[in-house]
Amino acid sequence: MNTLISYLKLAVAYMQINFKSLIAYRGAFISQMVAMFINDFVWIAFWSLFFTRFPVVKGWGVNDVITLWAIAASGFGFAHMIMGNALALPGIIVRGELDTWLLYPRAVLPHLLLGKSNATSWGDALFGIFVYVIFVKPDLPHLLLFLTLLCSVSILFVGFSVLTGSLAFYIGSAESVATQLRFAMITFSTYPSPIFQGFVKVLLFTLVPAMFVSHLPVSALRNMSLSDTLYSFGGAFAILFAGVLVFYAGLKRYESGNLIEMRG
Amino acid sequence: MDKYIFIALTAIRSKLAYLGEVGSKTIFLFVVLYIFLSLWQVTYGETNQTSLGGLTLPQMLWYLVVTESIILSLPAIAGTVDQDVRTGSLALQLIRPISYPLNLLASTSGERALSFFINLSVGSIIALIFVGPIAISLQSLMMFALVIPLAFTIDFLIYFLIGLAAFWLEDTSGLMLIYSRMTMILGGMLIPLELFPDSWQQILRILPFSAIVYGPARIFVTGDQTLFCSILIQQIAAIIGFSLVIKLIYGTALKRVFSHGG
Repeated sequence: MNTLISYLKLAVAYMQINFKSLIAYRGAFISQMVAMFINDFVWIAFWSLFFTRFPVVKGWGVNDVITLWAIAASGFGFAHMIMGNALALPGIIVRGELDTWLLYPRAVLPHLLLGKSNATSWGDALFGIFVYVIFVKPDLPHLLLFLTLLCSVSILFVGFSVLTGSLAFYIGSAESVATQLRFAMITFSTYPSPIFQGFVKVLLFTLVPAMFVSHLPVSALRNMSLSDTLYSFGGAFAILFAGVLVFYAGLKRYESGNLIEMRG
Repeated sequence: MDKYIFIALTAIRSKLAYLGEVGSKTIFLFVVLYIFLSLWQVTYGETNQTSLGGLTLPQMLWYLVVTESIILSLPAIAGTVDQDVRTGSLALQLIRPISYPLNLLASTSGERALSFFINLSVGSIIALIFVGPIAISLQSLMMFALVIPLAFTIDFLIYFLIGLAAFWLEDTSGLMLIYSRMTMILGGMLIPLELFPDSWQQILRILPFSAIVYGPARIFVTGDQTLFCSILIQQIAAIIGFSLVIKLIYGTALKRVFSHGG
């Protein structure tokens, strides 16, 4: 319990430092955040146009897609707003920049992940909550469940980023592969899940676990389903666990880059 | 002119050295095309229509192959200008006996031509597997071959303008992101303009986005001659207009360049 509290304090401290670091370049930070907000909003506009023309897609309406975008964007946003280095993991490994993190008297992975905040993710996080509250207009139980599911989706995204980023330990220059896999995950996560059937659906529950973003959380919110909520968390923790295992197994193969690096 | 052709060919050769990286991007193309096929299959099925916006399901997928190939072939234009301005390497470029904008146009056009060719080839194979071939006439291919370089030129000019904003803004990545999304949605990358509300269509057809994405893709798929003429006029007007704006802004921006020896 003490360890958990200690790491929570570390997370809070890092969030404060990372935020100060971001607002040191206030103009850049705000413009990136606003741009991501607008980017996400453009997708909502696309879906609104689509559903104006074709009102229902396999039982999904525009509100379901807005819910999907809200939870996917804010889940991704919170994940990388707090643990921004998850996105940079393959580059850090390939360039031999892990050395700095290995010197700290903390477990390497949480410390490394917390070390940076991704500026655009703030836009995603704010966007998700904003559109859910403004467009879906949830009652209190739905809002609370949304915030709960936000945690599961964030855990899933961090786990997936760690899992794909850790491939760099095994296949060398994995930045491109990790980016492609992440794009695939995000893309599959932001389309109505009923359009995927058969083998692809199995794939989306396993290799590219987008169903734990698009299908289960949306279903949980539609039906206020406890089982779907639990399945969402189960999937998220499974991916996180796999990511942690692959990272630490890969860490044994890590070779120092003899890189001299200063961290302020 | 020869030197710019040489720069474009050098950019292609240089890109060919990293063919693996270019190829890895086609994984995303596969994912996107599969998702769109699934979405449109459901949409055509639920509406009981064989044609939406004047396109059959196979035509729709081929349309998306072209639009995605255009969007995914984009090289780093604004980012390069932004970096050149921020790091000061623009000053170094200016002392060379070539025009900086034309040099960048040539090198990025070479890169883009190769990426587009690879994307279109891979996308065509994917479309052939998913929905089979569609009838494409030689005439539509020729019209397409004429409008696609002009589409890339307009895109270049707009991204170059965004890059020039680095002279005044702390960060231009936000502008790049917004412009790219505008091109994707308002340019008809995801849905052809015919499926937009009628009131929107009139406006979208005038904007440059449609001349970059929708026009070339629709011409490729349908071989529409009337559309070809209107897109060609729109493209030429856009190129002239944006070139003039760049001339004005680039001239103003260069007055802000200070360099010293060392």
